[in-house]
Amino acid sequence: MIRIAVSSEPRLLHILRCVVRCFAQEVGFTAEEADSLSMAIDEAASNIIRHTYGNSHDARLALEIRTYPDRMEFALEDSGPKVRLESLEPRPLDEVRPGGLGTYFIKCFMDSVAFDENFQDGNRLQLVKYLPRKGVA
Amino acid sequence: MRVLVRNEVDATIIDCTGEVDLYSSPKLREALLHEMRGAKANVLLNLSGVSYIDSSGIATLVEGLQLSQRTQTRFGLYGLRNNARSVLELARLTRVFTIFEDEREALTKIASTQPFSGLV
Repeated sequence: MIRIAVSSEPRLLHILRCVVRCFAQEVGFTAEEADSLSMAIDEAASNIIRHTYGNSHDARLALEIRTYPDRMEFALEDSGPKVRLESLEPRPLDEVRPGGLGTYFIKCFMDSVAFDENFQDGNRLQLVKYLPRKGVA
Repeated sequence: MRVLVRNEVDATIIDCTGEVDLYSSPKLREALLHEMRGAKANVLLNLSGVSYIDSSGIATLVEGLQLSQRTQTRFGLYGLRNNARSVLELARLTRVFTIFEDEREALTKIASTQPFSGLV
């Protein structure tokens, strides 16, 4: 298990991306899949900075990564006000306008996304990605 | 991320290099909107040096597209790497942007494209 705690500064997002990308490749995801996973985590962390913290850069953000033989589990923790799962619903793609794509990318790249309802101090977003089964295209 | 602006005969080119994310996209936005508002007829964004672009970067491109519609500027992208192209395809945005393969094609064809008129 890896746990990284950073302040909510956008300039630190690339560190989270690097860790996710490296770890994902180490456990068997392809470079392309690892890029997608790092983007999903980047988008989730960006959402926390922008929406949960209102672009405040001195708040707390923690990323936890656990690996299993068949999957990777990620958890992003913040100490902001409670966020409802409905707020992660992406906007319709037919609407061409700036913004609103982050949650769409998260859902595209992860197999499951949910908040830990038992988490008391803020929000804990849990994301799971299963490894492709060997021999299956 | 670095942003450089150069003026060619047929277009203003914005060379963007590095990773475009929540931290760096405001810098790209500033350059893009500045050139659009500067009454430039043709603006090209060179993405050949962009190794990563997230939704805030994509939002910046869409904002540029919207402004190009209002200012009647022709706006095109070129040099997209696989990851940037994949993200645009996933968001179904390749249909709304004018995308060229490389700088030569972009400079040759940008003047003959129609300013985008598909956004409300």
